[in-house]
Amino acid sequence: MAIPYFPGCTLSTKANGYDRSGRAVAQALGLEFQELDEWQCCGATFPLATDNAMALIAPTRLLRQAQEAGGQVTTLCAVCFHVLRRTQNFLQGHPDALERINWFTEEPYLGNVRVTHFLELLRDQLTWENLRAKVAQPLKGLRVAPYYGCLLLRPQSEICLDDPDDPHILHDCLAALGCEVITFPYQSECCGSYLAVNKPEVPQQLAQDILASAQRHGAQAIVTACPLCQYNLDYPQQSVSGWALKPLPVLYFTQLMAVALGLPGEVWGMEEHIVDPLPLFAPYGATVA
Amino acid sequence: MQDFMTEMSTLSEQPISLCFHCHKCTAGCPVVAEMEYGPDRILRMVQLGERERLLQSRDIWLCAACETCGTRCPNEIDIAKVMDALRMEALRSGIAPAEPDAAKFHKLFLFVVQTLGRSHEASLLIAYKLWTMNLLADMDSGMKLFLKGKVPLLPKTIKGRQQVKRIFVKSAEAMAKGQPSPTPAQEAK
Repeated sequence: MAIPYFPGCTLSTKANGYDRSGRAVAQALGLEFQELDEWQCCGATFPLATDNAMALIAPTRLLRQAQEAGGQVTTLCAVCFHVLRRTQNFLQGHPDALERINWFTEEPYLGNVRVTHFLELLRDQLTWENLRAKVAQPLKGLRVAPYYGCLLLRPQSEICLDDPDDPHILHDCLAALGCEVITFPYQSECCGSYLAVNKPEVPQQLAQDILASAQRHGAQAIVTACPLCQYNLDYPQQSVSGWALKPLPVLYFTQLMAVALGLPGEVWGMEEHIVDPLPLFAPYGATVA
Repeated sequence: MQDFMTEMSTLSEQPISLCFHCHKCTAGCPVVAEMEYGPDRILRMVQLGERERLLQSRDIWLCAACETCGTRCPNEIDIAKVMDALRMEALRSGIAPAEPDAAKFHKLFLFVVQTLGRSHEASLLIAYKLWTMNLLADMDSGMKLFLKGKVPLLPKTIKGRQQVKRIFVKSAEAMAKGQPSPTPAQEAK
C-alpha cells in the first residue's frame, strides 16, 4: 500500500534531488510514496507562544489531507517533519485549539494522524537488517559523517525520534549501506537555519566550524536529512575564501541509499550540489551513465 | 495588571522563575556571538521585568529556534518558546524589530504563501531584495543557484489557493478585532 507523502515547498524546488532520490529509494524498498493532493506550505516554523494557534492552521490543513489519505503522512524534509509532528502533538493536548482551527479551515480535522519521518519508516517498518539485505553496491570504506542538525531531534519530548545528545538513526542507516560512519562533535549543532537570509555571516561561520570538525575526524562527506542544513553547509563552500578546508560534499541520506541500492544515476539528484559528490563513488564503479 | 515575568511565563507556558543562571543555554547557543545578552541574561531580564530593553533587543530576532538551550536546561525551560513570546509581545506593542530585515522576510514569506499556496524561493528572494534594497549582495550566488536549476523561475500554484487566501482574510479580520484566537461561538454572534 502506498504511503501518503508530503514533499513540501523546498523539496519541490531547491532540494529536488532529495525528493527524487527519496521517492526512488522508497519505491525500490516497497514503501512507495503517494503525494498528497494539492498540498500547501506547512508554515516552515512551529509557533512556540501559546496563543499563536493561528500559525497552526497551515500544518493542520495538511494533517486533514493526510486524514483523508488514510491516516498517516511521511516526510523527508526535517523542517516539515518537525512542524507537522509538533502540531499533531499540540492538537492532541489542546482540543480547544483544534476546534478553533477547524473553524478557520472549514474542514474538520479529527486529530489522529500519524506523522513520520522516512528514517523512522526505514528503522521501524523496514528494519536495518532488511535494508542491508537489499544493498547491491556496499559503500565499503566510504567515510561519512552524519549531521543531524536541530529539527530532527529537538525538543525530544515532542519529537521522540532519537536521543538528542547521542543520536544514531542516521548512523544506523549509513552503516547498513556499508559506509564507515564517523561521529563528530558538531553532529547536532545548529547550522544557523534561516539566518542565511538576513545574517548570512552567522551560518557561514557555523558551517566553517562544522565542516572543519567533520574533516578533522576524517570524513569524506557529510550526510543530512534537512534541506536547510544541506544548503547552509554546501552553498557557502563556493564563495567563501580563506577557509583552510578542502571541499566537502554534503549529501542527503537518500542519495547514498540510491547509490548503494544500485539505482540508476538519474535518480541520485546530485547535479545541483555545489561541491560535486560524484567522484566519491567512482571507486565503487558507480557512475552516472 | 500582571507583572512582565508572569505575562511571559503564561504566553510561553514556561517556568521562567526557575532559571538559576547556570549558563548552559548560553554556552551552547550557536548564535550567541551575534547577540547583545545571550539566552540566560534574557531570562534574567524577564525575571527583573526589563520589558522595553528586552523588546528592543536584537537578540529576540536572532534566535534560530534550534532548541539546543531548551534541551540542556536543568530546569526544563524551553527558552525558544520564551524568545517567540518576546517577539510576539514586541510586535503587539508596536516596537520596531531591532533586526528589520528579519521582520520583512517573515512578512514576505507569508505574502508568497498567501498568493501561491506554497513558498517559492525565486519570488521570495526577488521581493526580499527589492524591499530591503540590498539588490546586489548574493547576486552572484543567486545566479549560480538559478543556473544549477535549484530555483525554478515560475512558481507552482495549487487548486486550493482560494481557500488558503480565505483563511488569511479570516485570520486578519480576527486579529483586527483583537481576537487572536476566536472561538466558533464568538463568530456565531
